[in-house]
Amino acid sequence: MLQQHQHYLQSAATAAPPLPPPATSTPPSSTAGEAPPKQVALAMDRLGHAARLIADIRLGADRLLEALFVAAQPHQSSKPLHLFRQEDDSMRQHLQDLRTIGRQLEESGVLNESLRSRSNSWGLHMPLVCPDGAVVAYAWKRQLAGQAGASAVDRTRLALKAFTDQKRRFFPHLDDEQNGQGTDSVSKKHRSSQALLEDNQDNLSDCKTLSDVLTSLEKDMPNLKVLTYERLDWLKRASSLPASANDNTMEVPKHNFHSSSILRPGPQTVVSMDKVAVIELLFPSVFRAVVSLHPAGSIDPDSVAFFSPDEGGSYIHARGSSVYHVYRHITEHAAVALQYFLGIRSETALHSLLHWICSYRSLFTDICSKCGRLLAMEKQSALLLPPVHRPYRTFSPSKVSSTQAIASTGDQSRSAPRAYHIGCFSDEA
Amino acid sequence: MPLKWVLNWQPNAGSTVNSQILNEVSQCVESINGVKEGRWKATLTFYKPMLRDQALAADFPRDFLGISLPEQPNKYYFILRGHKIVLEADSSIQLIMEKLQSYKSRVALNFEGFQYQLGDFQLRVGKVVPTHSENLRGIVMEVEYLPISSLEKSRQVMDEFVDIWQDTVSKRSLPGHFLHIEPNFSDYGLADHYTSQHTAVQYAHVMAQLIASVQAGQAARN
Repeated sequence: MLQQHQHYLQSAATAAPPLPPPATSTPPSSTAGEAPPKQVALAMDRLGHAARLIADIRLGADRLLEALFVAAQPHQSSKPLHLFRQEDDSMRQHLQDLRTIGRQLEESGVLNESLRSRSNSWGLHMPLVCPDGAVVAYAWKRQLAGQAGASAVDRTRLALKAFTDQKRRFFPHLDDEQNGQGTDSVSKKHRSSQALLEDNQDNLSDCKTLSDVLTSLEKDMPNLKVLTYERLDWLKRASSLPASANDNTMEVPKHNFHSSSILRPGPQTVVSMDKVAVIELLFPSVFRAVVSLHPAGSIDPDSVAFFSPDEGGSYIHARGSSVYHVYRHITEHAAVALQYFLGIRSETALHSLLHWICSYRSLFTDICSKCGRLLAMEKQSALLLPPVHRPYRTFSPSKVSSTQAIASTGDQSRSAPRAYHIGCFSDEA
Repeated sequence: MPLKWVLNWQPNAGSTVNSQILNEVSQCVESINGVKEGRWKATLTFYKPMLRDQALAADFPRDFLGISLPEQPNKYYFILRGHKIVLEADSSIQLIMEKLQSYKSRVALNFEGFQYQLGDFQLRVGKVVPTHSENLRGIVMEVEYLPISSLEKSRQVMDEFVDIWQDTVSKRSLPGHFLHIEPNFSDYGLADHYTSQHTAVQYAHVMAQLIASVQAGQAARN
């Protein structure tokens, strides 16, 4: 009986593809109007189902054998017979299901090669189950395996490339707009080479390129360190910040917005202006501000954040938040100021923003223009804070840079950038 | 690291420090929205040299101080105030001194109490007691401003904070006030960027003030 049963199993398994594929009439609806990937997915599904059924059948066979064994023992009730009948029923059902699956697989070309000759298979091929049970995967499996192995970075890069290609194809006018506000790329290069020759004309309309903006900023603010980075380079710098901040012996070159990284002591590679995505403004011992540009190389700021000069870590970026209250409040205020500068005149937004940021160099020294004190209790958080607001509506970069000239005449109250506590600040200021 | 000022309680002439004052001071901190965070403890030790011939003792500096600070558990700081020397050593130096029998502890004091957070400020209020005794000798306070490390840049902020603090304390009409005298850090070779060595120097100076006020109190009573 055992042998019979085993033989029965084997024949059942091989009986799975009993009928020739239906060549005429309606093709099976599951494979007709569906794209190749869906067909492949269905085939995989069915193969999995078939494997499970085969496993169930093996288990059922074991149980049948067990029931027979128990029945062979003396003093048994009708229990083994009952088990046997139960198992027999489920086995038949499994085998029936297996036959059905087999039929479906055959129709979809897994057990024969009927689909292989199709032209628009998108390069995907159905898996082929050979008569001895081996599954032959071919090209589609390599593709799937390849995708699984690719890292997120690669996928992102590919996605970005695909996106920019499509954008270039379908939105060519957007690309034109980016090439320097109506001037073509040739005159833009010409202008940036002249940037250093242009004298201190604090004429906002002259600062059209990133290097113009940064050069004029460095001229106006002698204590300021301006550094530029590509986006990924900034992450490296931010993560190593506490170490470099405490290193008093490190020398920083003056025109360092031409250098790519403060950490490399050797010959510094030049960050090309069209890749700059992060600008760092450091007033030593006062604050560090991080401005992000989008797209890279443009003069369009998209976010800004303030931090302690001693803070370090990968959370130091233009959308990050300082651990200290004072810098968090300034960052909030700066976000509003940025939107304001972008709203009134987006071509000069970066120039205005950077100069406005510089007005915070007096963060711990300038008293509030309203109450006359340095520290005040902020009502909402009940904390003592210095004046963290600087007005942006009436802000003009020329006022900042010519402060020295006016101050010499003694009229300091009107020229110094005003500072306010949160509670003392009102929007009209 | 963030900078801090160490303040010392100066009792009025003829009065001494007591635990009631300490309680009032703690309440003052809470009245300006200080949030109690935890305990802190620093230990200061006066060393004397172990010499076979006591006559040589005059060749050695009078006040050789050692301090352990809670923010630097692996370090130990030595100060020779007369010579304006401060030294940062590994905390194992105490064990070495003991094994070598070179210096012995003459007097050891604990500064201990509670720590409070006020936004970007961190305050520590502590009593000064000799180790193995509950005899209150003084009250110290640490005011730390966390965002920056430059003594110069923070001077105005700290000045105003101490003013606000003095105002708050004076409302309680306590017999004394807090005093801050900044030591000349450059004498010790220390820079504008704050470090734990600055703290050690401040404690050494606070110690000197404490001794002076205790002696003045004793003299007044005699």
